[in-house]
Amino acid sequence: MMSNVTNTAIRVGAFRIALALILALAVSVSLTQISSAEHTPPVNGIVVGVETDDAGALTRFAVSDSTGTIHTFTIFKGTEYGLENQAGDRWVSTHEAEPSEAARRLRDHRERFAPITVTSENGTAFSVVEREEGKLEANLGYLFAVFAVTWALFFAYVLYLGRKQRVLQHEIARLKVASDK
Amino acid sequence: MNKILDLLDPLLILSAALMGVALYLIFIWVPTETNQGAVQRILYFHVPVAWGSMLGIFVVSGSSFMYLLKKNEKWDRLAVASAEVGVIFGGLMLLSGMIWARPVWAVWWTGEAKLTTALILFFIYVAYLMFRGYFPPGAQRQRLAAIIGVIGAIDTPIIYFAANLWSQAHPPIITGPAADAESALGSDLGIVLLVSTLAFTFLFVFMVQTRYKIRKSEDDVIELKRASSASAMTGVN
Repeated sequence: MMSNVTNTAIRVGAFRIALALILALAVSVSLTQISSAEHTPPVNGIVVGVETDDAGALTRFAVSDSTGTIHTFTIFKGTEYGLENQAGDRWVSTHEAEPSEAARRLRDHRERFAPITVTSENGTAFSVVEREEGKLEANLGYLFAVFAVTWALFFAYVLYLGRKQRVLQHEIARLKVASDK
Repeated sequence: MNKILDLLDPLLILSAALMGVALYLIFIWVPTETNQGAVQRILYFHVPVAWGSMLGIFVVSGSSFMYLLKKNEKWDRLAVASAEVGVIFGGLMLLSGMIWARPVWAVWWTGEAKLTTALILFFIYVAYLMFRGYFPPGAQRQRLAAIIGVIGAIDTPIIYFAANLWSQAHPPIITGPAADAESALGSDLGIVLLVSTLAFTFLFVFMVQTRYKIRKSEDDVIELKRASSASAMTGVN
């Protein structure tokens, strides 16, 4: 009788866990679909095209990302810039304030293959900034972190397995001796 | 000396040798990617551990199915061993992905489909192991754990196709049958990724094999204890 009650409780528990897993999966996929409709992820890449009007003001520019996809962006008055020259001096401005300077800076980036990050919505750029994290020195730290975490975790797990194996071998030997007596 | 020789499993030697080759290829041979710089080399760790975590759930699911079919203890042991190693690979997949995302996307995490379904895979592993940890041992626990193991595999194809189905910051599929020819890796990058994936696959198999043996020893201990207490009871009677 008691065993039947326990079995039913276990079945109900397992069913609930399975149901919760399926539900979590469905909710996360739905939420992702909703969020993908609302946000455009930032584009990282190099400038491959700059278009200006007769007055030399920037009107459009194109960026190629790491997969080779070309993204074209239009500009509006509020577009913000944060771009560095080769010496590392940063120029911070908006399109309304210096529309011609923006075109010059982006052409400079195109010639140097200097990567930039663009945030946008429906093809209109909100911010065009230097991809600071793209610098080699900064990247090495992240690469080292992945390398260190990977091997530390594997090493710790193999040590754990080795220790567990030794404990079990001793336990088996002890129990065999005890049963022989 | 014997202890050292015991550790020298052919799989471990093969894995270590391939890992050495992979490290040489990753850090010395392969050219630095133009856009991302050195951080792109994380790909050669991230993709193989992600593959390991998916392989893990396939083994958990396959062996769970076989257990339900044959009721043989060895399939249950294989499922547990694979789940435990899978949780390590799954955790590394998430950690390496987050560390890579920070310099490339400027965030540690986004709620997009590929990342969320990968996190769910990690939770499936954890739920499977927690279920086994909390329920009393016996055929009932093995059977119900096997059912969770089989259900858990549903997440794998969703992870694989997520980047193509809900295209966001995560790059599209670069390997396998659904890989886009334009986004696929070039020959140099492809070779390094292949060697690295092979090295991590052998490491995965070695770890599962070791964990399987430990699981077998755990069962032996339970059996010996049961036999010992049964003989003690006979002595009392």
